[in-house]
Amino acid sequence: MLNCFQQAPHGMLPDATHDEASRQEFAKSLRGFIQQQLLPGLQPIYEKRVAASYERETGKRPENRHEIRKAMVKDPYFQLYASTNRIAQELLWESTNISIDRQLPELIEKAKAYSAQASSQLDIPEDFVPPRYVSALDIHCMPGGYCSEVTEDDITAGVLYDRGVYLYTMGYTGPDNDDMGRSVCNYLKRNKPDFKPRRILDMGCTVGHSTLPYKEYFPDAEIWGIDVGAPVVRYAHARAQAMGKDINFAQMNAEETRFEDGYFDLVVSHILLHETSGKAMPRIFNECERLLAPGGLMIHADLPPFDLMDPFTQFILDNETWYNNEPFWGAMRDMDQIDLAEKAGFPRDEVRFDTAPMAVMEFNNQSAGYDAESTGEVADRDFTAGEFAPGGGWEVLIAHKPQRKHEAA
Amino acid sequence: MMSDATEQQRPHVIKDARGKRPSFYEAEGLDNLTSMVMVLASELTVLRDRLDASERVAKANGLDLAAGIETLELDEEALRSREAWRQGFFDRLFYLARKEANEAAEAETRESFKQIIDDIAVN
Repeated sequence: MLNCFQQAPHGMLPDATHDEASRQEFAKSLRGFIQQQLLPGLQPIYEKRVAASYERETGKRPENRHEIRKAMVKDPYFQLYASTNRIAQELLWESTNISIDRQLPELIEKAKAYSAQASSQLDIPEDFVPPRYVSALDIHCMPGGYCSEVTEDDITAGVLYDRGVYLYTMGYTGPDNDDMGRSVCNYLKRNKPDFKPRRILDMGCTVGHSTLPYKEYFPDAEIWGIDVGAPVVRYAHARAQAMGKDINFAQMNAEETRFEDGYFDLVVSHILLHETSGKAMPRIFNECERLLAPGGLMIHADLPPFDLMDPFTQFILDNETWYNNEPFWGAMRDMDQIDLAEKAGFPRDEVRFDTAPMAVMEFNNQSAGYDAESTGEVADRDFTAGEFAPGGGWEVLIAHKPQRKHEAA
Repeated sequence: MMSDATEQQRPHVIKDARGKRPSFYEAEGLDNLTSMVMVLASELTVLRDRLDASERVAKANGLDLAAGIETLELDEEALRSREAWRQGFFDRLFYLARKEANEAAEAETRESFKQIIDDIAVN
C-alpha cells in the first residue's frame, strides 16, 4: 500500500514550511518502510539463523521472550531493524519540534484565545505533582514528556504529541487521530444501543484525540478529559475549540480524581494503562469503580495480555519496553486485568475482553490520502506484532457495574 | 528577521528525550553513524521534494526554471542564507551527539533504565 494519508488541518496545529513538512513526511514514510519491509525479515532471521545458533551454543532453543531477546540483540539484521526504528522515532519528534520552536509564543496565544471562547472548563491546579511513571523517562522518546513546561502557559507537549502521534501512527488512526475513541463509540452504539451516559470521563486523554468522538456520538453528555500533563490538557481544551467541540479538560491523576462517587455513567481510557505502573493500575481500576454510577461501564482500550501469544510475538512487542522508553509496556501485558477489575469490585462475570472493530473505513475521503482502497487495507490486515495498530480491531476490557450489589449474585 | 534580543527572549522546545538511549551495535560509533546517514537520507528527500515542487510550480506558470538555474549568480544575501541553512542542517545531523552529552550530564545509565522498569513493574 502506498500510504499517502494526510492529517486534517485544524487551528492549533503548527504551520510547517515546505521543507519541515517534507522532513516530517520522511519520518512517517520511514516508519512505513520499516513496518512493511524490515519487520517481516525478523521471523526468518530468528527461525533460520538466531535460534539455530542459540541451540548449537546451549543445547536448546530459546524458550521465552527474554531468551529470544538475548540471542537476537547480537544479530546484525536485528540491530539494523531496531536502530532504524529508534532513529525513525527520534526523527519524527525532531522534525515536528523544529516547526513548534519557530512559532511557540504565537501558538500559546492562539491556545489562550480558543480557551477563552469556551463555555467548558479547563481546570489546572497549582500544586499538582505528576506521578513518577510519567516523569522518570520521556515515554515513547517524546522530548520533555507530557509534563515539561518551557515557559508560562506552555502547550509544547500537546502540539508535539498531536503532530508526532500522527506521524507515529502513519495516519492509521484517521485524519484527526481519533480512531480508538471512535471505535469504542461505535462498539457501544452497536452492542449497547440503549446505553445513554449522562456523564463521560476519558482518563489519560493527552490532547483529546479519543475524547472528541464521544461528544459527537453522545452530544448531550457532559464530557471530561483528564491527564497528568498540564501542557497537554491546556492544548486539548484549545484544540477541541478549534475543532468546534466544547469539552471539559482537567489536570488530574486517574488513580485519584477530584470527582464525587458515582459521577459518571461511562469511564473510558485509550492506550493509558500501559503508561502507568504496577501499583497505579489497580488504583485506577478502583477509582473507575468508585466513579461509576450503578449500571455504568468501564472500558479500557489498551494492549492485550501476553498470555495467549507465542514467545516470538511477545519478544517483538516487548521491544517497545527496551527501545522506545515504555517501561511498563512488557510488565503490563503480564498483569491479570480481569482479576484487577474483580478486586476493584466489579463482579467477575461482568468483566471481559472484546474487540472493537477499527473505524478507519469511516475516514474514506475525509482528508487527502484516505481513499476506500487505503483505509480498507488498514482495516483488513491480520494482527502482526511490531506493526502499528492491530488488523481489524482494538482490544477492549469492559466491566459493568451492576444496578445493585446483589444483582450479579 | 528578528533581532537577537527578541530571539533570546523566545522560549525553546526540549529537544532530547529523558531515558538512556540503548546502543544497537557493538562497534563504537556505529549508532552515531547510522543516525547521521538517516538524517542525510531525510535531507536528500527534502531536497528532491523541493526540486520537484519548484519544477511543478514553474511549469504551471510557464517559467523555464532549468535555464535560470544554470545562469544564477549568488550575491551576499544568498551566500549568508545558504550558510545559515547549512549550520541548521549540521545541528540536525549531530542530534545524537547532543543526546549523548545530555545523558552524561544527567547521569542516565543502562542500569538506571533497568531499575526504572523493575521499579515501575511493582511500584
